[in-house]
Amino acid sequence: MLTRRDFVAQLAVAGAAIGAFTLAPGAAALTEAPARSQQTCQPVVSFHMDRPYIDPTGTAMPYYPPRGARSGAPVARFSEETFRRMQCYA
Amino acid sequence: MVDFSNHPEMKGFFAPTRFEADVYDCEVTGKIPSDLNGAFVRLGGDWLYPPKFEDDSPFSMDGYINMFRFKNGIVDYKGRWVKTPRYKADLAAHKQLFGKYRNPFTDDPSVHNLDRSVQNTTPLCFAGKLFTLKEDSLPYEIDPKTLETIGPYDFHGKYKSLTFTAHPKVDPVTGDMICYGYEATGLETRDVFLYTIDKTGHVKREVRFQAPYVAMVHDIGLTQKHVLIPVYGFVSSMERLKEGKVHWGWDNTKPAYVGIIPRDGEAKDIRWFKGPSRATVHTLNARTEGEKVILEAAIYDGNPFPFFPPIDGSPWDPTKARAYIRRNTFNLASKDDGFTEEKLFEMNVSDLGRVDDRYLSLPYRYAFTAYGDKQRPFDQWKAGNLGGRVNNCYGRFDLATGKMSSYFAGDTHSLQEVCFVPRKNGAEGEGYVMGVASNYAEMRSELIIADAQHLEDGDVARVLLPFRATAQVHGRWMDEDELSFA
Repeated sequence: MLTRRDFVAQLAVAGAAIGAFTLAPGAAALTEAPARSQQTCQPVVSFHMDRPYIDPTGTAMPYYPPRGARSGAPVARFSEETFRRMQCYA
Repeated sequence: MVDFSNHPEMKGFFAPTRFEADVYDCEVTGKIPSDLNGAFVRLGGDWLYPPKFEDDSPFSMDGYINMFRFKNGIVDYKGRWVKTPRYKADLAAHKQLFGKYRNPFTDDPSVHNLDRSVQNTTPLCFAGKLFTLKEDSLPYEIDPKTLETIGPYDFHGKYKSLTFTAHPKVDPVTGDMICYGYEATGLETRDVFLYTIDKTGHVKREVRFQAPYVAMVHDIGLTQKHVLIPVYGFVSSMERLKEGKVHWGWDNTKPAYVGIIPRDGEAKDIRWFKGPSRATVHTLNARTEGEKVILEAAIYDGNPFPFFPPIDGSPWDPTKARAYIRRNTFNLASKDDGFTEEKLFEMNVSDLGRVDDRYLSLPYRYAFTAYGDKQRPFDQWKAGNLGGRVNNCYGRFDLATGKMSSYFAGDTHSLQEVCFVPRKNGAEGEGYVMGVASNYAEMRSELIIADAQHLEDGDVARVLLPFRATAQVHGRWMDEDELSFA
């Protein structure tokens, strides 16, 4: 697994050659996304769960992890019947 | 070793919590109204151990009582398991010993004849005592200071039914409690015992009668002159239990019955009215007007509970599991055993509705309940996709004008049962709506307090818990002059 630490070390060596990368630190990735009009169009690397994330969309948007716990998500795939079997009054 | 991994539905916000808790001086947004002194007491269920059978009912979850104690603008939280013999036996064995809902034939032989009740439905404050209620057993007395379990209670030995409803009615005029037990003499009996208990907790009156068939009788209606007893299509039999099934199945061929008995009447005076197949699980209010008896409730078109499946093997029908506020009118002067039904609001609502309890059994105007408004935003990115299965609003329904006003809890929230807390000496509907919201983005529970006359203005205060509170079935506001809290 390529960790953030390893990646940053490699980036330091290769950085001069690559040049065009902008590093969005993991902590910064937790902040609010800037408005699209304010974004610069350049490749972006960000980190999530200590892994590098290279923007695959071509829009040069760093990855922003979810701001909420999304704790309702586990039941998304359940039918109405399964959901009601679990908690009819939740 | 506890293992819930075989239950993919018990994840995220819906995972069992399983802990007891005390939080002193809870975090609050807004300002707690200075006239709220007492406690909002909630009762619900949580799985101490995973269910023995995957198709068991959530009504088999172990009882958990918790309260938000309000005093001088400060709120403390306390949560405790209801420590029934069943809870203690499971804890000692480190596993679930009890089988399906109200079916002792599916239990581990080691718990034969032990009280199976889980005490997970309704908290009750009456005659200066705090109780938990579950309709398959006697009430359990709870210490209001500690929420520790004292034990079963039979009203000085005079309450003879083996079971006690989760929905007794306290007459605001006399202070009497009208209550009952069904399957009163044992499993699969048609016996119903109806009681009047005075405000000091002594039985004044008992009437014994039989239901048309063995059926769920979860709630009743009370007027100043009559008691209304809805009976609907959840049926049971000893054969069914011996086959290892949950207690109830749904029989779509059964008509809905409503028995009406004068409050001073005898068994011979009960009159059964008959209507189309419906499920009146919870009532709002009732009243007698001359020869007419009127019941209002959020009534389901059919079976709301898939864990009590149709007995004919047909699939459960979610389109019938919708409740609408309806008015049933019974004409005592008519020889016809039918009744009329009106749909008062076209919107589907939670059947856990409430009124201002000072107007119970009397003419009244306002009903309160939760509902899901799909026009309101829901932030799936923060909360997770719940497929629209949220009650994001509390509504105040004006039965006189047909208008409603609405409180919106937020775009990552779902609301549990509403409670109405009257303002002392206020008119009907003056006071607060109160209830717990599940915040799926923060994975915590929040107690909502809103002005019942200004719901559109949002809440006046929220009590923020740093965790998920156990899911509630029913909750009650208990004023501090009713009960000795700590």
